[in-house]
Amino acid sequence: MNKIIVLLFLLLSFIGSSQEIEKVIARQGHVSFFSHTSVENIEATNNQVLSIIDFSKKEIAISMLMNAFVFKKSLMHEHFNESYIESDKYPKATFTGDIIDLEPLEIEKQVKLIKGKLTIHGITKEVEIRTSIENFNGKYILSGDFDATVKDFNIKIPPVLAPNIAKIIAIKFRFEYEPYEK
Amino acid sequence: MSLMKNNILFNLLFFVCIGISQSIYSQDLLETLEKEYPDTPQYEMATFKATRISIGHSVENRKKGVLEIMAMNRFWNLPNNEKSQSFVADKLSTRLALEYGVSDRLTFGVGGTTLDGIFDSFLKYRLVRQQKNTKASPFSITLFQNISYRGKKGYKNINLYDSFSDRLAYTSQLLIAHKFTSQFSLQISPTYIHRGSSRFNEDPHNQFAIGVGARYKLGGHVAIASEYSHVLNPLKSVNTYNAFAIGVNWELSDVMLQFQLTNVRGVVEDAFIAQTPFNFNFNDPNFVFGFNATFALHLNQKKNE
Repeated sequence: MNKIIVLLFLLLSFIGSSQEIEKVIARQGHVSFFSHTSVENIEATNNQVLSIIDFSKKEIAISMLMNAFVFKKSLMHEHFNESYIESDKYPKATFTGDIIDLEPLEIEKQVKLIKGKLTIHGITKEVEIRTSIENFNGKYILSGDFDATVKDFNIKIPPVLAPNIAKIIAIKFRFEYEPYEK
Repeated sequence: MSLMKNNILFNLLFFVCIGISQSIYSQDLLETLEKEYPDTPQYEMATFKATRISIGHSVENRKKGVLEIMAMNRFWNLPNNEKSQSFVADKLSTRLALEYGVSDRLTFGVGGTTLDGIFDSFLKYRLVRQQKNTKASPFSITLFQNISYRGKKGYKNINLYDSFSDRLAYTSQLLIAHKFTSQFSLQISPTYIHRGSSRFNEDPHNQFAIGVGARYKLGGHVAIASEYSHVLNPLKSVNTYNAFAIGVNWELSDVMLQFQLTNVRGVVEDAFIAQTPFNFNFNDPNFVFGFNATFALHLNQKKNE
């Protein structure tokens, strides 16, 4: 009897781990941010953002290189990396979180809350982001937007340039996922 | 007894299996992503912030389509001139220049200096870029070539002024820089200067110099920079001194301000490297206060996709 129970558990644990293969990855995700002030509008896009979703755990991770953001002004790209985000010291921004009540098999568009940790400039903040998730025959698309406060991430702006940079930056994202194979 | 043993063994096996499956579970998703980054080389950015370390050229180029409008000023006082009515400083030399990024690696510039009426033009090409986290390309290397024309006779007349070519001078530099940390960068600049003419036979036509420059960032926008250049075969007919400068660079978005305490009065390479007439100290007329203002204009903006 004992043996049977143990074998059952073993079997279950293997089923569990086989479900774990249910991962999808986005290798060319889009993240862009906007800073609108009366003095200047600044906009930058990163088209090489990586993201992975683990459906079994309803977890998501995002990682991007800060120097892959493209600006309209080339000098701004340099300043962004050198003077503000310090990408020598903090080359990446990352996010890990849980997609609350994710329905992996849902075909209709679903809007879910993602709770997790956003790390920019070496500083981690708890954030909640409303995200729409679409499923086109197993090809998932995740998109949404949220706001981030510059001050939260200890990004220093000299007083002279304070009017040029918004206090709150709008961030947009869109990821297209495909099945993940090692 | 044997049953108990069996039980323990099975329980052990059970926990080990659970443990294995758990460890697969908790594998960090971020770590998985880490392996997904493509293996493209990452280049060091902003070894120096501006195209000048302080007084001389740095390895940096502006990107394609960026036009820099520059005013490079040098102020100094004359000795025993206390009754002077001049404003701020007795003497002023200014180079006004336009420098344009033809491509991401090539810069073309033209300028005119009030002192000695020097007109100059240069090409600067970024040959090698320093790569991050690899020993493949540890240095940034930039080639610099200028030509300058003396409109007026200089402070000490060492050139002939008979024909156009007599008034020319050429400076070639190999700029080699390494960014050690995000704060500290160092540059070595072997320099070759050729003058089109010489009034005195004892003066060398071809001069060689080694320049050393460094910057240390104090914060995101402010850096200390210093430069020194040693002339290996100085002029014989007049006393000249090696160029030295120490100063502060302040970057403000599209504007770069550079302040210097220096002994150089000329702004064009051949003039200040080989023909600086006074040593560096704080007496007049040796002491020169320098101020470069650079405004970057993005003429050819990238389309943001």
